Amino acid sequence: MSNAPAYEIDPKAFWKDPYPDLERMRVGAPIAYVPQLAATLLTRRDDIFENEKKIEIFSSDQPQGLMTVLMGQNLMRKDGAAHMAERKAIFPSVSPKTVKAVWKAAFEKQTGKALEELRPLGAADMVKDIAKRISGEALKSITGLTNMSWQEMDRVSQGMIDGCANYAGDRDVEARCHDCTASIDRHIDEMLPLLRKTPDSSMLSVQIQAGMPEASARANIKLAISGGQNEPRDVIAGLVWTLLTHPEQLSLIRTGGATWLQAFEEYARWISPIGMSPRRVAQAYTLKGVTFEPEDRVFLMFGSGNRDESVFDAPEKFDITRDTSASIAFGAGPHFCAGAWASRCLIAEVALPMIFERLPDLSLAGDVPFGGWAFRGPLEMPVKWKKRSG
Amino acid sequence: METISVTWVLADGSRQSAEVVTGGTLMQAALDNGIDGIVGQCGGSLACATCHVIVENAPASLPEIAPDEDDMLDMAEPERTSTSRLSCQLVAVPELDGILLRVP
Repeated sequence: MSNAPAYEIDPKAFWKDPYPDLERMRVGAPIAYVPQLAATLLTRRDDIFENEKKIEIFSSDQPQGLMTVLMGQNLMRKDGAAHMAERKAIFPSVSPKTVKAVWKAAFEKQTGKALEELRPLGAADMVKDIAKRISGEALKSITGLTNMSWQEMDRVSQGMIDGCANYAGDRDVEARCHDCTASIDRHIDEMLPLLRKTPDSSMLSVQIQAGMPEASARANIKLAISGGQNEPRDVIAGLVWTLLTHPEQLSLIRTGGATWLQAFEEYARWISPIGMSPRRVAQAYTLKGVTFEPEDRVFLMFGSGNRDESVFDAPEKFDITRDTSASIAFGAGPHFCAGAWASRCLIAEVALPMIFERLPDLSLAGDVPFGGWAFRGPLEMPVKWKKRSG
Repeated sequence: METISVTWVLADGSRQSAEVVTGGTLMQAALDNGIDGIVGQCGGSLACATCHVIVENAPASLPEIAPDEDDMLDMAEPERTSTSRLSCQLVAVPELDGILLRVP
């Protein structure tokens, strides 16, 4: 293990709110070994930004990692030419052009339908009833698994995420994860003949069209599901909560003083939905006096870098007018989120404007607890609105 | 080691020049020289459009814009111009000695 100074955390408190510990690490031990996580954490924005690009040292290839073992080796767990080749193959399914020309209309239709059905109820849970559905429906379109329900999409996504974080080796969690990947494979089996016959812009289809080995194509679909469901869900709900609790910033958007996209980018900085990305040290390396040994586990703490006080003024403040160009919410290297453009469109162009437009007088109707540090978002969020306009 | 001269016109109109070793990308050169406005978020994997430059003067013809770069340029901020490029796709070659780039 690295010889970085040790920093002890209380895992429960860290899960509930990691920001106080992360701030103490940034100030006192920006590269710290956390025994409870058995990993060395990079917590400063510039350290992450510079070192994430050094793939020969901080490698994404983690053959023993839970994600590879449970979900197959996807492109996020490959580096260099192998990674770029698969990335290029999936690009037509998530490129800005495809998002604009193909997915945006689908997002609008799905979101409109969901809100129309919910509106007469006058109340719902923003996370479980609204954001989860909008996110799941979008992911069905992009992956090509249109034969799956949005509820199943959320279940299999969460099951894989839990499996990948199952460092304690809980057998039930592992069994649930296997059940989820098996469900995805069954849905893929069903869609493959259809997509072979009628190719489209979905990720499953473009991978087949590119001639990618089926095992890789399946692993990448699982990656898209594990990484494409809960983040948009968490940002949609989290940003609604944030704007309801910062009404002056909501009115700035409504009066044209700022954009939904600015709000989206600032939220992703402020409460990054992906707070951490793991790496394996591939060769001995010294960084700022800390020596890393091969096979060390390193966590790039995006959520911490995005609150780095040496980069952002008053980083704990949500301010949609700030310059967020230094944000590393989508990563800061060759593994930069491939779904970035799809998420910007889904959330900033479709979900947020439609939610505030179609659910008049939207307000909070209860407590909104947040949780998580590797993935962070609101856990539940009761809301109400006026059933009829006028 | 062969180098070429690269000049960036920054947003405030000032100029910054550097001797850049051939073989690397002009995005990397901008990062190495702390050029304001070039973020280079994705490290050159054509995923972010944060290394957008406007080519003011190129001493030789530049490689064609590939479809993927073209697609990403549509998302560049501020909007692309007829000579916009993503500098991660431009390699410092001897023919480009003296190239002038504007940071939009």
